[in-house]
Amino acid sequence: MGIVIIQIGVLYTLYVVGSFIQQLLHIPIPGSMIGMLLLFLLLMTGIVKEEWISCGANMLLSHLTLLFIPATVGVMDYVELFSGKGIWSIFVVIVSTMIVMLFAGFIGQWAQTREQKRMHEVKGA
Amino acid sequence: MIGASMLLWTIVVYMAMRKLYARFYFPLLVPIATSTVVIIITLSLFHLSYEQYMVGGKWLVHLLGPAVVALALPLYQHRYTLKKFLWPLLCSTFFGTIIGIGSGLLLARLFHLPEQVVRSIIPKSVTSPVAMDIATLIGGIPTLAAVYVMVAGIFGAMFGPTIFQRLRLNTALGIGSGLGAASHGIGTAKALEMGKKEAAISSVAMTLSAIFASLLCPLLLLL
Repeated sequence: MGIVIIQIGVLYTLYVVGSFIQQLLHIPIPGSMIGMLLLFLLLMTGIVKEEWISCGANMLLSHLTLLFIPATVGVMDYVELFSGKGIWSIFVVIVSTMIVMLFAGFIGQWAQTREQKRMHEVKGA
Repeated sequence: MIGASMLLWTIVVYMAMRKLYARFYFPLLVPIATSTVVIIITLSLFHLSYEQYMVGGKWLVHLLGPAVVALALPLYQHRYTLKKFLWPLLCSTFFGTIIGIGSGLLLARLFHLPEQVVRSIIPKSVTSPVAMDIATLIGGIPTLAAVYVMVAGIFGAMFGPTIFQRLRLNTALGIGSGLGAASHGIGTAKALEMGKKEAAISSVAMTLSAIFASLLCPLLLLL
């Protein structure tokens, strides 16, 4: 348990650094995301070893749902937004989600077959 | 005192709802949806406000930032998948993100939804903690954003597999990209039911979408 807390501390530090960079440079990208990209770079360059953060990271990621329950409970203060016209917002989200899924799915599938075909041609030539 | 009990209650409800979902595995029963409903019901039964709940709840919110940072780990672990399918993945998530933001914005405006609602809908396709940060940055309501993210996740996971089957979208890359780009974590859980490869691609797609959305959402509002 101790190791998990220390590792979460490391991740928290990266989050704080990310937020600091965001404020320093006035970029509209979430500080947490800057922290994530920073950690990815540190892992790729081998400066940070996977074991140094994996216990803490897995702990947070496997219970991600628990972490945003307080946020979704907040919807109780916005019930009036969902009465009447606001209910359409749910419909908008569902339709848009289906559109994204189809486009992302087909683009992924298309790009993959195209690349495989090209590789095949290169090999054949 | 109230803080500690709210925190404890949240954890207890979450554990119970996780068990329930593991038992029935039906998308409408995803723990985030059921836990939220149960907690809201108990709060109203005891006439407690959201503010009182957050005395304890805020401790969990503090962990969201480091949790987003932690997403670097699966991305790193799947780096070979990422490298192998770099272009298909970059294409599908980049255009998926643009289409997600664009269609959400367009439809929301079409229905004349209030401005704050529109701005909370925009980041709906990315994982909750990132969506909440984006909503804050672009003038939406983080809480509402989290709710829309939940809706996108649940419905994507519910209808995705059927739609894929009907339209002969059947490669791991197609399925993984679709679920990850549209329905983030909940979609990735669904992808895991369909195969390990689908899940790996879905989790990479979800992370790439979060990166693209963080870059694109703020830009969009400059227009």
